[in-house]
Amino acid sequence: MHQGAWLLWASCGGLVAITTTNPFYLLPLLAVAWVVHAACARPGPQARSFRIFLIFGALTVCTRTALVLFLPSIQMGHVVEAALEGLRLAVLLVVFGAYNTVSDPFGVLRLSPRRFHEPALAASLALSIAPRTIAAVSTVREAQRLRGIEVGRLRNLVGLAVPVLETGMEEAVVLAESMDARGHGRGRRTHYRPELWGWRATTISVACIGAVTVAAAALLGDDPSLAMSAFPVVWPEVSALMLAAIVALSAPAWLPPAQVARAPR
Amino acid sequence: MTSIGFERVSFRYPDSEERVLDDVTLEIPAGSFALVTGDTGAGKSTFIRAINGLVPHFTGGEYAGAVTLRGETLRNTLDSAPRYLADLVAFVPQDPAAAFVVDRVEDELAYSLENLGVDRAVMRRRVEETLDVLNVEGLRDRSVRTLSGGERQRVAIAAALAPGPRILLLDEPTSQLDPQGAEDVLAALQRLVHDLGVTVVLAEHRLERVAGFVDLAVGMRRGQPVVVGDPAGVLEQLRSGPPVARLGRLVGWSPPPLTVRDARRVAGKLTLASPSQSVLPASNPLVRATGLHAGYGRRAVLNQVEVSLDEGAIVALMGRNGAGKTTLLRCLAGLHPAEAGTVEVRGDPPVAGRNVALCPQRPESMLFAETVAGEVEATLRARGSPSSPTSVLDALGIADLSDRHPRDLSAGQRLLVAIASIAATDAPVLLLDEPTRGLDHESKTRLVAFLRSWARRGRAAMVATHDVELAAEVATEVVMLAGGEVIAHGDPAGVLGDSPVFAPQMARVFGPGWLTPDQVAAAVTS
Repeated sequence: MHQGAWLLWASCGGLVAITTTNPFYLLPLLAVAWVVHAACARPGPQARSFRIFLIFGALTVCTRTALVLFLPSIQMGHVVEAALEGLRLAVLLVVFGAYNTVSDPFGVLRLSPRRFHEPALAASLALSIAPRTIAAVSTVREAQRLRGIEVGRLRNLVGLAVPVLETGMEEAVVLAESMDARGHGRGRRTHYRPELWGWRATTISVACIGAVTVAAAALLGDDPSLAMSAFPVVWPEVSALMLAAIVALSAPAWLPPAQVARAPR
Repeated sequence: MTSIGFERVSFRYPDSEERVLDDVTLEIPAGSFALVTGDTGAGKSTFIRAINGLVPHFTGGEYAGAVTLRGETLRNTLDSAPRYLADLVAFVPQDPAAAFVVDRVEDELAYSLENLGVDRAVMRRRVEETLDVLNVEGLRDRSVRTLSGGERQRVAIAAALAPGPRILLLDEPTSQLDPQGAEDVLAALQRLVHDLGVTVVLAEHRLERVAGFVDLAVGMRRGQPVVVGDPAGVLEQLRSGPPVARLGRLVGWSPPPLTVRDARRVAGKLTLASPSQSVLPASNPLVRATGLHAGYGRRAVLNQVEVSLDEGAIVALMGRNGAGKTTLLRCLAGLHPAEAGTVEVRGDPPVAGRNVALCPQRPESMLFAETVAGEVEATLRARGSPSSPTSVLDALGIADLSDRHPRDLSAGQRLLVAIASIAATDAPVLLLDEPTRGLDHESKTRLVAFLRSWARRGRAAMVATHDVELAAEVATEVVMLAGGEVIAHGDPAGVLGDSPVFAPQMARVFGPGWLTPDQVAAAVTS
């Protein structure tokens, strides 16, 4: 799959998520991210990182809701409002998490025009850090368990954080050294096998842009179903068109996987 | 053909007080196969990185002198950053996994070519040729993240070679490979030197593997001038070398031989008593695994494995890359669930950190304290043990490091610290997964002494390793795995002695039954 299509998918998923606080839109969108991750994740350790994004998403909801406690008087509406805002952020995180497992950060880098090479490199490195860090977390947790230290406890957190950050740092330096030693950033660049924008990429793009258009139209048209009323707490309405737009974002999961262009060996 | 010249090169890292390179002047002629050898911390990595300008362009620090690459053109590493030398010099770092940039093997090979702006048609041809040279054609569509250690190393070398560099730099290229894999990689490198005139410079601790291939050695010692010359002379000056060289020094051969073949020529002069057979007294089993099956998802890794570890035993666990060594250790430590079969430690199920201690492949993944002593203390505190860290550090011979920061230590020393903090759990069973990466001779000696004292106290250790010489020196038993099955289990002389791949150098020279230079030297009768 063309990396540009994935980039578009993640951007559109994120855009749709931030337009709404309606749980009947946000939860299906969460499911869509999950389905796409399950169907399209690349093999390797970064596939596991999705779970961590789910956990962080759940933490976001809890933290945002807990902030209500600082209000002078608490009503049910405050809690609902906070939880939904948390949920919106969580969905954004999970969409990003799914993007992380399906895309190749350096594939994106290879797409970038020369002029934007440096910022694209920074972005690719940043994108690759999340999965690397998450893989490191499980290695370190296990290593500490081997000596009887449970890093789940707060006071042992340093035993988790220090090795994760240090090995992450060392790996980043090795990667940067290796890229430079292999001529990265020398100027004129050629492409070995340019990624082809196939019918899959087109299909996904149409679905994604369609979804964003529907969401944008709803936003501009003040569609009442986008926000859930918290004072008083009332279940929101659901527009079938919006739901269809969200379901359309799951297109990558239903397309047959791309065949390798060469004959099987 | 390109030669490498160092002219009065000195270098000091930004946060360090002493110079790593001190007024180094030497020449590595074009077409050399050069070995950089010396203790860890003597500056081998720095030396290699200075050749393509990673030092000082990436490190900063205080740099003087010049490194020049003389071929069709003269290039100075101070004037051009590593990226502008990429068509001339290629570099393979110690941990190839951390250096992969792209996801697919084939794209990884094309990466340097793309950066150099090579035409697509030429690129296609270069990638195909390189796939063949390193014999990685079958891996072309794999994700680099799913490769085994040996495959990763070969792919990393192929990726470095693709643009056709005149100089190839490698930092410990065989440290993760099994003996056959190492042999294949070294033979491929030698072919590059012979057929293509590439200048190869590699740093390596396993001298028994490389001594027969290289034709030039650069010897580095802390605080002493760098020596360069033919390998035999340099290793003699450093008082190091493979086991045959150590034997040569013990029995007074001058010059000491470097390869098994050299040693055979002079070995005829020795009359040896028959090898002493150390028969171990039967003792109680400490760990017993029966009918073990394990795997990852649908991929079966271990098949009907029966292993026992007796009190006082040091078992070397050997076999090819991917034979299932790590999985077996993880099963024995209770970290990986067995699909069938049982593991018992004195009748109880194994619990990592309680009755089984396992030191993982990357010791850095557990070090976090400010000092070495603090590292061991953290384990003792977690286990509620009242003992002091000094005794554990003493046993490993690293008490002198107790106030140092683990990050400032060499790879070998860090490994010893990790073993200390694992051993502090006081579990009776110690499992070590590949403890020889980056381990220099001195650290290895300390590890051997520690394992022996551990076994003398009636405990047991199992060491997964590719280092046949370590196994020959320390093991009381050897378990050989192949394709997830135990294919041999017995005393080292019996299992390793007549193996064409796993035999230690002494067995290759004097026949099965002989394992270490000390054992041979003690049996000399005339």
